[in-house]
Amino acid sequence: MHLTRTITLTASILAAGLGFFVFLQFGASDGFDSLDLIRALLIFASTFWLAWGAFTALLGLTSRPPVRERSTGLLRAMTAILVPVYNEDPVATFARIAAMDASLRATGAGDRFHFAILSDTRNDEVAARERIWFLRLLADTHGEGRIFYRRRTQNKGRKAGNIEDFIKRAGAAYEFAIILDADSLMEGATMVEMVRRMEADPELGLLQTLPNIIRAKSRFGRTMQFAGAFYSPVFARGLAMMQGRTGPFWGHNAIVRVKAFAQSCGLPELSGRPPFGGHILSHDYVEAALLARAGWTVRVDDDLAGSYEEAPENIIDHAKRDRRWCQGNLQHARLIFAPGLKGWSRFVFVQGILAYIAPVFWLAFLAASIAAPLFAPPIDYFPIDYWPFPVLPVSQVSKALLLALGVGGLLFLPKLLILLDAVLRRRTRGFGGSIRALQSTLTELLFSSITAPIFLMFQTRSVLQVLRGADGGWPAQTRGDGTLSFRDSWAASHWIVTTGAVVLAFAQWLSPQLVPWLLPVALPMVLAPALISWSSRPSRTMLFTTPTEQQLPAIMSLNDRILSRWSADLPDQTAAA
Amino acid sequence: MMEVINPDQFDLDHLAEELGKLPEAPLAMPVQDLEHNAPLGGMLAALRPRLFRLRKAGH
Repeated sequence: MHLTRTITLTASILAAGLGFFVFLQFGASDGFDSLDLIRALLIFASTFWLAWGAFTALLGLTSRPPVRERSTGLLRAMTAILVPVYNEDPVATFARIAAMDASLRATGAGDRFHFAILSDTRNDEVAARERIWFLRLLADTHGEGRIFYRRRTQNKGRKAGNIEDFIKRAGAAYEFAIILDADSLMEGATMVEMVRRMEADPELGLLQTLPNIIRAKSRFGRTMQFAGAFYSPVFARGLAMMQGRTGPFWGHNAIVRVKAFAQSCGLPELSGRPPFGGHILSHDYVEAALLARAGWTVRVDDDLAGSYEEAPENIIDHAKRDRRWCQGNLQHARLIFAPGLKGWSRFVFVQGILAYIAPVFWLAFLAASIAAPLFAPPIDYFPIDYWPFPVLPVSQVSKALLLALGVGGLLFLPKLLILLDAVLRRRTRGFGGSIRALQSTLTELLFSSITAPIFLMFQTRSVLQVLRGADGGWPAQTRGDGTLSFRDSWAASHWIVTTGAVVLAFAQWLSPQLVPWLLPVALPMVLAPALISWSSRPSRTMLFTTPTEQQLPAIMSLNDRILSRWSADLPDQTAAA
Repeated sequence: MMEVINPDQFDLDHLAEELGKLPEAPLAMPVQDLEHNAPLGGMLAALRPRLFRLRKAGH
């Protein structure tokens, strides 16, 4: 494991170093200046991040999950399934709980699990609906004494505080707790298997599953769903190879040993004011680091199927969520040197920070490239004294192309290799066959390339907002299905259009030769509102088919049946009210 | 859906609270130390500029 980490780290640094030197040669061809060095350093940092992702994927492709012995005996432990809710639609959330309860009972181990709905809902009207639908949930599942509901009067510590409150009040009643999100869905058999793995390894403090995105309907949502189902297992495998006993926690669809969690994961409020002080926002990474610090194993088992979650249906909702994650990850800068943490945990914090800083580096690189001619010395056609003929500068286009190809390779090659691997191992069957998987991959590459500059801008803004301690304002209103009108998209992204236009104008003025190179970045920025609105509309293509679309998992069918029955009763309930 | 002013609301709220009550099984969850005693953190703190930190008069 240490060797794997060392090789991956070394390879990433070498790739970044190569990018650094190629750029230095390219940039210094017209005379070396400080801006060349800054740009080369920015290339180093950005390339390192890309290379790290690419080598993680390569690791995932060249390894397989360990074969784990499956036990079928009776479960000994009691497990609480925690469902923290915060102003969510109770009908949809509680229908998922009813489905998971039925799925668990079908395994024969239902009596070893309790559900706890942990409401942090601030809206009294939503809270009133939660209580009504909780009673309906109890009646439907005969869940009295197995399904609990409590609402906090103050949501101190947000989600982490919500879980902590449960543990302090009822934690001693359970050996394990499965932590879910309001939109999580898990097969009963998966939850039983998670408990078995925890029982089999007394040193295992936390076991994370890889949740599959489901129920995406929009163009953007289905692209993300495809990418999650097709690429993520390989990246997760690579991550699992490197993590050893210091694995990740992504905040939900995971099981914890309650005693271990209680002993080691009580989070302090950080000194100082937000965004860097106060409550720890991205608590999951910190909890994983604290469990590892206390000597517990934290592991992601990428072979566990039957774990699902939903995801944003449009770019704006995605960016909103990313804004929170950005603040949470940058706050980890305070914790890199926290006492006693494992080296890998510290590195994970750095990785999280780099994930949000890297786009800023790219943008800074573009800005520096546009401004470079202002600082470059004039070309000297007669550098040799008394030599009568001019010395023309050697074209550096080949080096620029080499660099572009290298960066492109790091971006695209892992995904193309994942496609090749899927074809060879016949994993493409779940994605509509090899031809459709190829079409989906190429379209996803095109879509992610076009939308990358938009995400780059949102991430850069998030980082700058966090650094100056500001909160993000979001004018866009999403409708129930996530569809965004052009007007809403414009309201949320007009500043990206302006930035794109300004970038092109400056490039045309200062470095006209750069304009064709900048078009792939600046054009999507100028077209941002149209792209955001278009991609939020319902997807009707056969592309991006995923296994869960081809064959609905049992838990999803169960959930659909319960939801349609409850939805049919909605008018009656409203009338009764 | 149910309005907050509905007369049955109180009974339903009470019922939900009663039936939803969590098991009474407290477990301690001590707050962890994340900010102190880190050698490098301490070093960085030592390097932090304190040029303008003045003592309050009278203390």
